[in-house]
Formats: sequence, C-alpha cells, structure tokens
Amino acid sequence: MDFVSRLFPELGFARLIVEAILLSLLGIFLLIAFIAIRRWYRGRYFQRLNERTFALRSQWDGILSGTVPARSWRLKRLDCEIVESILLDNIEMASPQQLPPLLACLRASGLLDLRIHQARAASGWKRRTALVALGRTRTREAVPALAEALDAPAEETRIAAVRGLGRIGLWEAAIPIVDHLLAGDLTVPEHAVKNALASCCRDSPKILLRYLKQSTGPARELLARVLAEVATSDLGEDLILLATDGDPEVRASAARALGNAQPSFALSVLSVMVQDKEWFVRIRAVVALASIDHHARIRPLLHALCDSNRHVRQRAAWALGQMGSNLDHTLTQVVETQDNYALQAFISELERSGAIDSLVEGLEEHREQGSAGGILLQALTNCRKKIEQAGQASAAAAGGH
Amino acid sequence: MHRWLALSNNTLFVYYLLSNLIYLILLVTAIFRNTWHRHRLASLRLERVKISPFTPPITLIVPAHNEEMFIIDNVRALLALDYPSLELVVVNDGSRDNTLAELRRSFQLRTARLLYIQEIPSAPVREIYTSATDPRLIVIDKDSAGSKADAVNAGLNAATSPYVCIVDADSILEKDSLLRIMASVFSDPQRVVAAGGIVRVLNGCQVSGGELRHVKLPRGSLEVMQVIEYLRAFLIGREAWAHFNALPIISGAFGIFGTDLVRQVKGYRTRAVGEDFDLVMRLHRHLHDQGKDYHISFVPDPTCWTEVPADLRSLARQRARWQKGLLDTLWPNRDMLFRPRYGRIGCLILPYMWLFEFFAPVVELIGYSTIILALVLGLLGRQFFILFLIFGYAFATLISIGSVLLEEMTYRRYTDWREVARLLLYCLFEHFPYRQMTLIWRLQGIWQYLRGDLRWREMKRTGISAGPMPNV
Repeated sequence: MDFVSRLFPELGFARLIVEAILLSLLGIFLLIAFIAIRRWYRGRYFQRLNERTFALRSQWDGILSGTVPARSWRLKRLDCEIVESILLDNIEMASPQQLPPLLACLRASGLLDLRIHQARAASGWKRRTALVALGRTRTREAVPALAEALDAPAEETRIAAVRGLGRIGLWEAAIPIVDHLLAGDLTVPEHAVKNALASCCRDSPKILLRYLKQSTGPARELLARVLAEVATSDLGEDLILLATDGDPEVRASAARALGNAQPSFALSVLSVMVQDKEWFVRIRAVVALASIDHHARIRPLLHALCDSNRHVRQRAAWALGQMGSNLDHTLTQVVETQDNYALQAFISELERSGAIDSLVEGLEEHREQGSAGGILLQALTNCRKKIEQAGQASAAAAGGH
Repeated sequence: MHRWLALSNNTLFVYYLLSNLIYLILLVTAIFRNTWHRHRLASLRLERVKISPFTPPITLIVPAHNEEMFIIDNVRALLALDYPSLELVVVNDGSRDNTLAELRRSFQLRTARLLYIQEIPSAPVREIYTSATDPRLIVIDKDSAGSKADAVNAGLNAATSPYVCIVDADSILEKDSLLRIMASVFSDPQRVVAAGGIVRVLNGCQVSGGELRHVKLPRGSLEVMQVIEYLRAFLIGREAWAHFNALPIISGAFGIFGTDLVRQVKGYRTRAVGEDFDLVMRLHRHLHDQGKDYHISFVPDPTCWTEVPADLRSLARQRARWQKGLLDTLWPNRDMLFRPRYGRIGCLILPYMWLFEFFAPVVELIGYSTIILALVLGLLGRQFFILFLIFGYAFATLISIGSVLLEEMTYRRYTDWREVARLLLYCLFEHFPYRQMTLIWRLQGIWQYLRGDLRWREMKRTGISAGPMPNV
C-alpha cells in the first residue's frame, strides 16, 4: 500500500484508514466478482451437463451392452461422471434380475476399479466421495476397500465407510463393521452403525446372533438392538436365551425381536417379560405383545396395566385399546382388576383413540339398574371424573395459574 | 471536555474495529463449517433415515394465538412432513378468533379426557381434543397467559416423544426439515441436546396449502433488508457460534430439544420476553451446573420459512421487543459473566452479547454524537471524519456481501441471478440508512424495558399462506 503514501503524503494516521477502505473495497469487488463468475460457470456447466446427459441417454443401451466402447466416454471427465451417476442410480433401484448387466458395465468399463483405487489411495473429500460411490455399487469387491477406510483417522471418512458398507446391503459388508465394533475401535455415531448393520443383516440375522454371543458391554447392546429389528422366527430358541440375559438392554431388544419375529413361543416368553424388574424391558414386552394377534395376550397386558410405572401402564392401555373389538369385555376385565390407575390409563387411552364414544353408546343400551352394562357405565363415568380431577390436582401441584 | 471527547472517539474506534473483526472471524469460520457440512451430507441419504427403525419419535409443538388465517394449511403441512414417527400438539392459546373452530371443523376434533399431568406450570387447560381424521394430532385448548412460552409449556406437558420440536404456527417447514435437523442429533446423540435450523424470510415466496412452492425475494425494500439480516444472523452468526459450541440462541420459530432436558429446566420461562434466547441460556446454565459434556448445534439446511414485518411500524415493534428480550435474558444470567465454570458461555458469549449486542445501539448513538461534536469543535479533521465513515460503511458492507456469498456457495435458494443482484444491491443500503433506523428501535426497546413496559404489541400480518396462489 505504498502508493497510498505517495498519492496522499499529507494523510498521516489517516493513511491507515485509507488503506483499510481500499482493502474493504477490494474485498467487496472480489466477492461480487466471485459470485458473478461462479454463477456464470455453473450455468455453463449445467448446460453442458444437460446436453451430454441427453446424448449419453440416447446411446444408453449401447453403453450397457458395450457396443458403444467404454473408451468413448470413460476418459472424458464429464461423460464419465454422468454414466457413473446413471449406473449407480439404476443399480440402487434395480431388482436382482436387472442387476447383472448394470454391474457388468460397471466392471468392464473400469469404473469400479477406479473407485476402489480412489477409496484406497485418495484422501479427504475425494476419498469420501469414492466410498459413498462404492457403497452404491452393491458389489462384493467394494467391501475390502470400504473396510480399510474404517481405520481412517478422520471421523468423516469412517462415517462414509460405514454408510457405504450399509448401502452394499450384503452380509459380507457387516463383518468388518462388527469386527471393528468388537475390537472397540469403531468411533462412529451409533445411529450410522445400527442402520448399516440392519441393512446388511436383514436377510441373515444369524450372523448378528453369532457375534452377539461373543460380545460384551455396549457393543453387545448395540448388536442386540439391531438384531431386534431384523430378527426372524428361524432364530428359534436363541431368542429365549437373550430374553433371560443379564443385561436389561439386551432383554429389551429380545422382547422387540420376539414381537417382530413372532416365533411360536413368543407369547409365553413375553408374558414372563412383562414382569421384568426393569420398566423399559416391560414396556418393550408390552409393545411386542400388542403386535401378536392372539387372545391369550390379554392376561399379561392386564398385568402390565396394573404396573407400578406410569409409562408401562400407558403402553399396556394402548395395546389393549388396539384390540378394537370386544372393548366392553376388556373394560369388564380392567374393572375387575380393581386398580384405579389401571382403569384411568385404559379410559384415557380410549379417549385418545376415540373408541370411548362407541363404548359408552353400547353400554347405555344396557343401562338398567344393576345390569353389568350399568355398573360398567358407572365405573367409566367415575373414572372420567377422576381423570379430570387428577389433571386439576397436577396443575395445582405444579403451581399453574 | 476535549480530552473526554478524544478518549471517547478512540474507544469507539476500537469498539467498531473489534466488532467487525469478530464478524470477519465468524464469516471465515462459517464458510469453513458450511462447506464441511455440505460434504458431510453427501454420504447421508435422508430416505434411509426416514425408513430407519432407529429414528426416534418427535413431538411437534405449535403454539397458536389468533392464527385462523394460517392454522389449517399449516397443520396439514406439518402432518405431511417427512418423518417416520410424528406427534403434533397444537396449543390454542386463548385465541379470540376462529382458530379452534377451524381446527374442530377441519380435523373433526372430539373432546378427550386424557390424563394430562401438568409437570410444567401453565395457564388452565380448558379441553383436550383428539382428531378423528389423524390420530397423531392433539389439540390443547387453554386460557391465554399472554405469552407463547406458556402455550409451549402446556404442549410440553402433553408431549410423549424423547424430542420436541417447537414451531411457530405461521411458519412453514420444508418437507425434509425434521429429518435434516435430526441428523445433527444422530451424529452424537449423547452430546447433542438441542439443535436449531435456519429461519428464512417467507415474504414474496409463493405458498399453497401450507407448502412453499416457489422461493422469491420480497418486493419491499424493508423485507429484502431483513433477508440479508437473516442470512447474516443464521448462516454466519449461528453457524460459527455453534462451531465453537457456544450457540446462545435457537430460534423460537424452529428448534428441537430433548424433552426430558426441557422438562428438567421447567420449560420456557412464562414471563420471558425473548423466551427462545432465555431457554437456551438456561439450558447452558443447567448443563454446566451438572458438569455435562454437551453440544447445542445449528444445522444450516433444515429450513423454516417465516413471515417478517413488511411495514415500518411492525418492524419497529419487533426490533424493540428483541432488544427487550435480550436484556430480559442477559440480566437474570449476569452471575454467569466471566465465570470459568460456565466455560465459553460465561467467558465469551455473554460478554459478547452484552458488549456487542445489547450495548451496540447505545455505543453507536454515543459514537455518532461524539464524532459530530468533535467535528464541530474542530477536534477531528473533516478528512478523518469522512474517511472513517467510508471505512465503517465499506467494512460492514463487506460482511453483508459475505453472507450473500455464503448463501450462493451453499444453499442457493434464490436461483434467479436478478434476485442475487438485488440482494447485493441492498447490501449497499443496509448500513445506511436501515441500520440507523434499527438503532432507534432498539433504543426504544431498552427504554421500554427500563420503564417496565413488557407488553406484546400486535404486528400487522399480510397472511401470506392464506393468500391466492400466483402462477408458478
């Protein structure tokens, strides 16, 4: 900024300010120029992208079958990006029958090798982009390169690798994740790991079971949680073992697994689990029972409705309310428990679902004094009053206005 | 007198330089953070999050006071959001218009005597309704306590999910915004206790059925100025402060919180003027007191569109209220100032808020007065005076243009180049005369607060959501 001194020798201290003004103006000019040039460049890029996409789409069958040789598009950067993008989109949506020609093109053109090379040799965002693309290929060859990235020092790279393995969706892709998990060196957000494992093990949950038996601590809880989502009835009596596990988190997951898989013994096991000493295990058991369509579930659900924990009671009420038909019969059984909290939870759930109106109508038809319907109606009316009073009491206790 | 004026001018010069330098640091940090965030999103597929069984449920809480113009479309739009497990609690906060009647009619509401435990105090609840058309919808009809905070507290009592999302009834959430904002929680569910999304200006946009159809810049100058302000505040300020784990505020229009945590701090402070700022500061205090390692994050891509004041009178009221809200939160938390126990909040954010947010209009007013006085008394050369004004203007404009650049580099909601050109043009006018007008309104806010005038003054609304749908 010496030219400022030469131009304005009399400025003194103000010279600094003139320099600052000039710098600011230069900054403004550069920013505006950057915005304008970027807009212009992007406009041109998207126009070319559009043109080339159209051209490549028109020869798509030839590209897939190889009659349009790969070298005609593979070494042109934009064309290569477009073909890869179309291929990967198609692979993600393809049925098993549609997949072979797409994968053949991916392999024959060298696109897959290129991405594997980048996933191993590149760094930073380029590597992560390659990992994401590899995941979308759904090929077994991609697994080793993705697995290597699980050891990357950058968390973002590890996350991209886990997500990539998850997208491959093959059981082979789950193995490196679980191995790292058990070794305790997989520092990646739990949500990403769980989703990846669930995606890979959906067709082979037994793999998870095998590892679950070897694992301890948080890794064991995580595997159990994933297993709960992918469990099938052929896991058999192993689920019973999990239901009696010493870790309550594993028991809770076992309850969920029983609800999802519904093996023949699920009802009897869950009926015991609604008496577990941990409330969240009991809740999971109640939710699982709700999904089993069998009349014998009423007894354990009624037991849960009388639980000491409010959340368990509410869930049990929800499960009983889901049963729909014979609500008056269920109400009779709830009244017979002689548990006011249970009755309140049940009535509150009926109010929430709107089933209360039809129930009241049905009971009013049998209103004669002394009849069962009249007694139930009376119990129901009293209970609704109590719910209102409970709300007012809680407001007073909370110091409401 | 002369010495005092010289000292005052020097202090103001340093103050001004410091405040702009801080914003420059925030701008650079925000550019880095935004780029990083966009790259990170590349490996995340939202449709997978949507179908994941591990995605936790959310309760949306929508306080509604005299919202008959917007409420039906907005409730429909909220129920249609992309999220696997959603509960919507609309709190009719003593509306005098037909808000409740419209809700009853459109969603076939029926009275339900639900077990409503009032863990957090609020004004009396008159009735609770459930919907025959959508079981996810609950409507709480309550007496008005004259504050949004009280309505949200009633909603918190009814929430059953591990996370709550507070949304203004006149705002529009983009369809995938919940999935996007929750992505920040999934990245570290043990530490991330709350997250805020970006709020953008709805004025000028084309809206139909509670959904945004086309993003456009508003026509009015006043509204375009606010677009620039919002871009700067969210894309630069919030993004950068969140990077330093020192986010002082999550907008009341759109933010998610851990339900248990908000209940632990007893929800919103009913009498708070700026209830959103107040809640986040109390969360910081609570979590520091408990010695927890936590993060309150900001995510720049989940977007909430909200109507901003279109006339001077409403804008003046809003800005005065914001200034009152600032003082109303800073004052009760003054004991956190400079206390290492409260980490960056006590040692960095609160001093910054006091010095460069709360005192800014006062300092600026003193600055204008003393500089002019010094000029009149001949203490300040006319040349220096003019140069200083030009520098102040140019530097502040640079920061404003930086926020437009950030928008261009990242989310590019304004696709037409003419709109970007307009935004850039308005950046030139933001620091004169718009800034001076806001200065007066903020001073009014301080004066009103000191007089004890904490009334909520109605703002004129154009009813964008209810307006006719222009051709897209």
